[in-house]
Order: sequence, then structure tokens, then C-alpha cells
Amino acid sequence: MGFFEFFRDGVLQFLSYTGFANCEIGNIIMILVGIVFIALAIVKEYEPMLLIPIGFGIIIGNIPFVDGLQIGVYENGSVLNYLYFGVLKGVYPPLIFLGIGAMTDFSALISNPKLILIGAAAQLGIFGAYIIALFLGFAPTDAASIAIIGGADGPTAIFLSSKLAPSLMGAIAISAYSYMALVPVIQPPIMKLLTTKKERLIKMRPPRVVSHREKVLFPLMCILLTAFLVPSGLPLLGMLFFGNLLKESSVTKRLATTASGPMIDIVTILIGLTVGASTQASTFLRVESILIFGLGAASFVIATAGGVCFVKIFNLFLKEGNKINPLIGNAGVSAVPDSARVSQVEGLKYDKTNYLLMHAMGPNVAGVIGSAVAAGILLSFLY
Amino acid sequence: MLFSMSISMFSQTINDLKINEMLIDNVDNFADEYGRHVPWVEIFNSAYNSVNVAECFLTNDTTGLYNGSGVKNWYRIPKGDPLTLIAQRSFVVFYMDNVPKYGTFHVNFDPSLPGSSNYVALISSNGKTLIDIFEFPEILRHSSQSYGYFTDGIEEKEDENGNMVSNKVFLDYFTPGSTNFVDEGLTKAEKVQARDKYGFGLAIIAMVTVFSALAVIYLLMKIFGKVARTKFKLRKTKVPNTLKKESQGNVEEEDITGEESAALSLALHLYFTNQHEKESGIITIDSSSAHFSPWSQKHLVLKQVNRKR
Repeated sequence: MGFFEFFRDGVLQFLSYTGFANCEIGNIIMILVGIVFIALAIVKEYEPMLLIPIGFGIIIGNIPFVDGLQIGVYENGSVLNYLYFGVLKGVYPPLIFLGIGAMTDFSALISNPKLILIGAAAQLGIFGAYIIALFLGFAPTDAASIAIIGGADGPTAIFLSSKLAPSLMGAIAISAYSYMALVPVIQPPIMKLLTTKKERLIKMRPPRVVSHREKVLFPLMCILLTAFLVPSGLPLLGMLFFGNLLKESSVTKRLATTASGPMIDIVTILIGLTVGASTQASTFLRVESILIFGLGAASFVIATAGGVCFVKIFNLFLKEGNKINPLIGNAGVSAVPDSARVSQVEGLKYDKTNYLLMHAMGPNVAGVIGSAVAAGILLSFLY
Repeated sequence: MLFSMSISMFSQTINDLKINEMLIDNVDNFADEYGRHVPWVEIFNSAYNSVNVAECFLTNDTTGLYNGSGVKNWYRIPKGDPLTLIAQRSFVVFYMDNVPKYGTFHVNFDPSLPGSSNYVALISSNGKTLIDIFEFPEILRHSSQSYGYFTDGIEEKEDENGNMVSNKVFLDYFTPGSTNFVDEGLTKAEKVQARDKYGFGLAIIAMVTVFSALAVIYLLMKIFGKVARTKFKLRKTKVPNTLKKESQGNVEEEDITGEESAALSLALHLYFTNQHEKESGIITIDSSSAHFSPWSQKHLVLKQVNRKR
């Protein structure tokens, strides 16, 4: 073999290993989706801390390569596969919940505990979407994993789908985070549709001061009640309330700072990047994914409507002066703190002096507890 | 003390081993690594952690168990073979072929031989502690079915009359190295769907559960809040009358507006963030020398190359 043949074969072999030679239309589409996510995060500032890692992960996951080189997220032994382990085995979501717990102030909920029921009502989205998914022919485990998108809680969605439907996890996670980013677009029309102008103008009592003892006892009481009732929700609920106790005990400031700062940041980076990378075109671009996106939207709509309608019904039993503004009903879907921010913005549209943010934070954090409990129930029934 | 603790922990985990299934009349069933059909016995690790069975004894003659004199006749499971480490809730199979030279999992007795006893025993490495003994009926020597626990490692079960009876049965399936319980039925999710096709039942149960959980928290928080406020009121009554009069004159008890709340919050935030921590009272003079580190000096960390002059 002459030098030129050797040179030609070498160049051709190198070219066959490049992404250009292995590229398919699916890869291009997914890379464009990744770029759109990054653009939305930078330009519109929609959930940038999630959409940038996910968007970049989508690009990484869709760079074409030759199989067997231990590169891809689904290839045993690859670095991405090791990082993906935390998603697949449900390691990352409880760690994120630990951070969320260490960041969350439950004062609004403790001062006005009836708001916790809104967090329960908004879980209607999960079970409504479950019924629709079964009607569409999904298996119960798949239906439950898709339905949890309505909980508007990314870690919970990843945790449940990693147990019940790992093959759908990429689409479910992307759908959940996308709709969480789109909360300011999805929720206001539903809130407007379901409320009267008079209801939107309801002014709520300012929350009372909550004592340190109440704040410390709250996570202890909640973990005992919820975990005894739904032990399968323990990984999420346990970490959530543990994180909150670290914060509220006021004697473990360093641990709380780590959990709510560097640790949650690291885990967010890893979960975002690997979930994004798991959306390889071959596994993601399917009719199922479109249905998942549709059902995700439906579950968000039902959840928002459930929260708002529940407040309207609840108000019938409350005395004048104690009534709740139904504009905070949407916050029961979790999506902390975006949905609470939506309540605030919508409230200010109708009354410039009506600040609903603090009130909306109550159902908002109750939604986190509610969606974790709902995930636990689905696990206990179907896993 | 640490030694005794480690011994007790070891014995606790080794005690979780159970002889789970066995077959003697192996005509065309499970073959060993040499392709031979020989009697086999399965050991199950019922613990939720790995247990190493190495150095334990397997025998069908427990003579001399309590004084430790039987060890010379028993099969000691060799140590050093990583396969003797049984993972949690896993199984390992030993061939009872009386040819121990064939490897770790070939023992020195054969229950199919005439005059053999009707049991197999697993004894701990000290030669005195019986970990498990598995008795089998005579008919097993001529049975084409394996004999073992219907549910892995569970020795007794409750019958229809509420009496505890043996859980050992002739198994429908040979399952050496895997669970004895073979479920031919539907999965949990399929069972749920069979009873609740469109999920209405599950949705209702789940919503009721979520509401119940959060309603209980609501009620407890409400009660606790009332107690807290009552205490606050009690404390309030203890305020001296002179101060009380002053406060009544200055402050009207009414709800503050959102803007006022925001202004107060900002003021408090500025106050707390700008305040100094407690000073030590010691004044020190910090010399303004440039920070030097040999690690950052290029000429010290790079090898000098000799130059021709």
C-alpha cells in the first residue's frame, strides 16, 4: 500500500468517525431545540438555571458519534453514563429536595395553615392527567409518570419516572421543566377565566408573626405525618423536611448554607445536563413525546383550575375578612416560586396595593409537599 | 470490645443465611460447570446486606457439632473466592457431588448415596454454631421436583385455620440461583388497571389521601397556632401599665398596607446587613508586603536548560 492510499484511507476513516458523517435529521432538530432552550433562558430569562444546563445537555446528547466508544449517556462505562446514574436511580431529586427544604420559609403556611389545602387541591392536575393518559392507551406506570408533570415539580417528576417509566424520563423531565418555565404564560388566562373581578380584588389579612418554636416543630410534624401515611414518598419528603429543619433549627447554619447553596447548585447542574443529554433524537423524537407534551399541558391547566376553583368553593365557608383571594389558587401547583410570582403580578394588575406574594407562598410550598405525597401514593400503587 | 462487637455483627449477618431449595434426583435438570447433573442445594441470603459464606461448613452429618470435633469431616467453604460473597437477597448454589476438588461449590458429601441422612446443615466457621438445618422427606431422593421454601427463607406460614405450618413444599419450578416464588400473574400496575380501567378509583383514593395528609397538618398547625397566640396574649398582659398606656397612645391596632410592609422590611434589611459584628477591641497592623510563593515562580518550578556560551 502506497503512502497516498494510506493517507486517503486514514482521512476517510477519520471522517467516518466525525459527527458530520453520522448526523441525522433528528440530531439537527434536537440540537435546534437545545439552542431554543438556551435562547429562552438568556433572552427571556425563563428558568435560566434549569434551561441552560438542559439546553446544553440536549446539544451534548445529540452530537452524533459512532457507537461503542463509551461516549453517549446510554453507553455503559461512559462518563455521562456515570453522571446519568444519579438520575436513573433517583439520587439527584432527593438531594435537590434537601436544598429546597433548606431554602424554603414555611412561615406563610404556618401563619395561615388553611392555605395548605390549596396545595392539596392543585394535585387534581396529576390525577386528571392520569385518567386522560389511561384513556389515550398509556400503561398505568407510563400514565402516572406523565401525570406527575402536573405537580410542576421537576425533581419529583424525575424521581417518579425513573422508577415507573425510565424510557420516558427524558421527555417527561423536559416537558415538566418547559411548562414550569412557561407558568407565567399558561396560568394567567385560566386564572382570569375562572374568577370574577370582585374576587380578584379580595384583600387578605397580613400573615401573623410565626415563632421560632413553630418553625422548628413544623418540619418534624410534617415528616412524621406524611411519611407514616405515605412511606414511599420518604426519599423526597424526608429530605425536604430535613433541609428545612437544618434551616429553622438555627444551630446548623453551615449545613443549611451548604444544602441550599453549593450542593443544590452542583446537583442542579448535573441533573440538568444529564437529563438534557438523555434526550437523544432516537429515543426522544417519537409520537409518544408529543403526547407527553400535550398531557403535560393538560395536567398544568387542570392543576391551576383545581387550585383556583378550590379557593372559590372554600370561600363560601369562610367569614368576610377571612376570605382568600382566588388568584393565589394557581400557586398550589408548586413551581416554586414562579407560580406565586404569577399570583402577585396578576393581583397587582387589578389592585396596585394588593400584594399577594406572601400569601401565595403558602399554597406554593404546600404544593411541593402535596406533589411529593402524590408521587408516593402513585409509587405505592404501581411500583 | 470492638472485636466482640465485630464478631457479634458478623454472626448476626451470617445467621441470615438459609438453605432454601434442593434437588437430589437430578436426571436432566441443572448442570454444573462440567455439564454433570448432580444433586444441588441453594443457599439464600435473606439479609439486606452482602454476606460472605466462606469458611462456613456444609454437611449432612452434624456429629460433633457442639464440641467442634466434627469440622474434619465437614466441607469447609474455601475463602478467597469472590463468588462466596452473596449479595443482599441473593442466592448461591452448591453441588452435592462428593468431589470437592472440582471447585469451591462442590462439597464433600452426596445425599443420594445409601445411608445418607435426610438433612443438610450449614454451620458457622467456629464449627459449633448451627446456622441452618434443612430437613427433607425421603421421597425427595426419587422426586423429579425440587424441595424448598415456597417463599424464600420463610420457614413457616399460616394455614386456613390460623395454625403455623411448614412453608416447605415440592416446587413447581426448579429455581437454582433465583427466587423460589415464580409469579405467573399480572404486575402490580396491571392488577390495578384490571380493577380500575380508567383510573377513577385511584384518582379518588389518591386525592382523598393527599387531602387527608395536608388536612391533618392544617388542623395541627391551627391548634398549635392558637396555643402560640394565647401564650402571646398572656405575655402581653404582663406588660407594665405605664408602658401599656404609652403604647396605646401611639399605635393604632390596624392592618398595615403592603407598601408599609415593604418599607419596614427594607429598613430592617438595611439595619441588619449594615451593622457590625462585635469587635475584638484589638488593633493590629497588617504589613503590606507582596505575597510571595515559590510555587508561582516560573524560574523555580521549571528545569533550567544549560545554554552553550
